[in-house]
Amino acid sequence: MLGQLGFVVLAGIKFGVLYALAALGLVVVHKATKTVNFAHGAFAMLGAFASFLMVVSWQWPYWAAYVAIPLVIGLAAAAIELVILRRLRQADMFTVVIATVFLGIAISEGFRLTYNTELLAVPSLFSGPPFILAGVIVTRDTAWVIGGALLTALACIALFGYGRLGRGMRAMAANMRGAQLCGYSVDGVYMLAWFLGGVLAGATGVFIAPVTGVSVDLSIAIITAGFVAGVIGGFDSPRGAIVGGLLLGLAESLSAAYVSSAMKSCISFLLLFLVLMWRPQGLFPERSGRRV
Amino acid sequence: MRTFLVRGSRIFAAALAGIGSVAFVSLAGAQQNGITPSEISIGAIGALTGPLAFIGAPGRDSMSLAFDEINAKGGVCGRKLRLGFEHASSPAESIAAVKKLVEQDKVFILVLASGSTGAAAAADYVRQAGVPTYNLYGSTPIIRNPFAENVFHGAVVPVEVSAAALISMFHDDGYRPKKFGILAGTYAFPQATLKAAQDILRQKGADFAVEQFDIGARDFTSQLVSLQRRGIDSVLVLGSFSEAGFAIKQAREMGLANVRWVVDGSAVSTAIIPILGNADGIRGYYNAPAFPGQTPATREFEARLSKHLGSLPQGRPSVYDLIGYGSGYVVAEAIKATNCELTRANLINAWSNLKDAGPTKLGGLDITFPESYTPTDHQGVYRIGAAIVKGGQWQVYRVIDRP
Repeated sequence: MLGQLGFVVLAGIKFGVLYALAALGLVVVHKATKTVNFAHGAFAMLGAFASFLMVVSWQWPYWAAYVAIPLVIGLAAAAIELVILRRLRQADMFTVVIATVFLGIAISEGFRLTYNTELLAVPSLFSGPPFILAGVIVTRDTAWVIGGALLTALACIALFGYGRLGRGMRAMAANMRGAQLCGYSVDGVYMLAWFLGGVLAGATGVFIAPVTGVSVDLSIAIITAGFVAGVIGGFDSPRGAIVGGLLLGLAESLSAAYVSSAMKSCISFLLLFLVLMWRPQGLFPERSGRRV
Repeated sequence: MRTFLVRGSRIFAAALAGIGSVAFVSLAGAQQNGITPSEISIGAIGALTGPLAFIGAPGRDSMSLAFDEINAKGGVCGRKLRLGFEHASSPAESIAAVKKLVEQDKVFILVLASGSTGAAAAADYVRQAGVPTYNLYGSTPIIRNPFAENVFHGAVVPVEVSAAALISMFHDDGYRPKKFGILAGTYAFPQATLKAAQDILRQKGADFAVEQFDIGARDFTSQLVSLQRRGIDSVLVLGSFSEAGFAIKQAREMGLANVRWVVDGSAVSTAIIPILGNADGIRGYYNAPAFPGQTPATREFEARLSKHLGSLPQGRPSVYDLIGYGSGYVVAEAIKATNCELTRANLINAWSNLKDAGPTKLGGLDITFPESYTPTDHQGVYRIGAAIVKGGQWQVYRVIDRP
């Protein structure tokens, strides 16, 4: 019985860390630019597709995919900010948000038109014998997805919280005019935020590809889960995004196992409504106090 | 003389008007049933995008390949076959697409290449409209019952037949299942088969448990834990290849060993093999006598389809390609059987008496079960292939006739 609970919890954590990574990318862009990037799921889908190309089609080593794809997707996201969104920003923020919705659709449909298939399967990174922890079988791939995705998320939080890069983004989010007076460039910080968001989307894609395969629907699945996890944790809180992702993954898994398998789809929206009604700032919002 | 000329010109004008109106009426009549002097219009619906595109896209591609081959040989009744394909995924889209094809495009024949969801949604409308309708992939009873003289069902057998074949595969090679588990999608096609499979298992007095999942699901842990808790040793997966693939992959990761897996026809695809790595031993039914690559005819079909599309997407050709191709030829044979008196009533009558229809009679490739109809039974095929993965390849190992 405990072993079965262990399986359910493990599956919840596995999908939860992937949701957390997706949410973190949304939060990073939102925190620095006050824009919800609805194209984030499509960027992650591109990352997953790139891992199919590199690992399956081109037979490159897997580690190359983990290193190269986040950087490539990050650069692509930064280029989109530079070429498209920077011009739109002169209108208003709403225009930029709407633009990201259609950008996501354009990327997904472009993929669908060029690669007309239902699902592309990507093999697991590890294939050795599994570990057995307290009666629960943990495959090497599951351990890698949980550990790797969690480490990536924590590294991002460290960068955002303690590095010079993150300071600029946080300053811009708190007070754009003040940050400019302190020498931060709006354009530079915005592009950096989009780059970092793209890196996280690419990482989400590479980690999720062997778990779910690559399909157009992946784009919607990632943005939905990432958005809900972000709202649960608090849309301005990187730490909240991680906790929100894990909570969502566990809630889905446990409700499907012990209430009804039909609950899996609706639990995320139930949580979303509950959080928005009772705690719209999220369960773990960033403290907004300031030293005087 | 002048009077004669005036009278003559009036008669001529009247005759011209008469001929014109007759021509107009006959042209309008001809357009109404999708026939022109050079073309026969056939309209089809199916999902070209989304989770059910694995059914609709092969239907469109392979039927158009068959029509191209037939047209290259001169067409049927001196006319080319023209396929108009409307994307339809949801029930609402299916009804809208069918109405457009019948009322606006005025097609001669309507083809439902949409699977059970679209077929069930369109069922009432096509019965009322009376248009000759060819159901390629829908196994749902909603399109079959009550019987309609204008609706024909091709290679996909009724769910009672496919469910019986699936259950029988659990007993192949002397295997003795103790407790069955059924993992079924919540959408129309798996639900229809689920009901039929449950009925059969109840009649047999078998012990079984059912778990369900949503369309496009990728995490089956909770369902598998439940099956594991109940000591299941035989699992029937009713869903697409991606759903079945990830369910079996996760079951192995959870240590659900020594289980016989039998999957639905829509999961019997080469695309399930890369998901699983090693898929050997997995069984499922197949709506064709041989798997792509298994016979020279299926290999030739693969080459032709690849040339037709430019390149083949992963997992293609699938059974839906084979059926789409065979069905294209059945449509042509039914039209030919009218002796080129192209009215819908004649077509329905001719189709109702077709015997052993299929690609071979019109020079196509022999890759599908031949279809035979009677005025009281519009199910063209009752045969089904039992398939297994061996050495990383699907192959049909026996043909089951009316299981």
